[in-house]
Amino acid sequence: SVEDLFTTLDRHIQRSEYEQAVKVADQVLSVAPGDEDAIRCKIVSLIKADNIDGALSTIVACSKKFPFDFDFFKAYCLYRQNKLDDAMESLKGLEKDSAAMLLESQILFRQGKMDASVDIYQKLQKSKIESLEINLVAGLVSAGRASE
Amino acid sequence: NPIVLDLAYNSIDFPSIENRM
Ligand SMILES: [K+]
Repeated sequence: SVEDLFTTLDRHIQRSEYEQAVKVADQVLSVAPGDEDAIRCKIVSLIKADNIDGALSTIVACSKKFPFDFDFFKAYCLYRQNKLDDAMESLKGLEKDSAAMLLESQILFRQGKMDASVDIYQKLQKSKIESLEINLVAGLVSAGRASE
Repeated sequence: NPIVLDLAYNSIDFPSIENRM
């Protein structure tokens, strides 16, 4: 049953067996093609398995068929492929939560827009994000603002 | 160039599927 498949899927996720998790998510999708949880599990598993191409093609295919919002995942995959303008475009419509802000800052850094990148890290400083200071310092140094 | 960590990666999480089992 679908319940059994989700139990198996959860076990693979807990064990970081992401390639097997993709297979089980596909089994769910073969009986319930529009199951949002299964699609999300598949996309995240592909990303965690470092299969960014696979994640992106899944996102593109599912975005055509179903009304779910995978724009953050899409932006992240495009960033990983160094398609920075497209990644920024995918971020545009999204709510500016800390995840979207972190990704935007990383994209800006790669685009050489150091001041804009640093600006976002400074806004996020209150949020107590682990290792944020490392990226803030990298941005400041790259922007020639090491004294700050 | 200084190294930038991929902090956005840490935001990529599985959905909660406890109620699906
Ligand atoms: K990674």
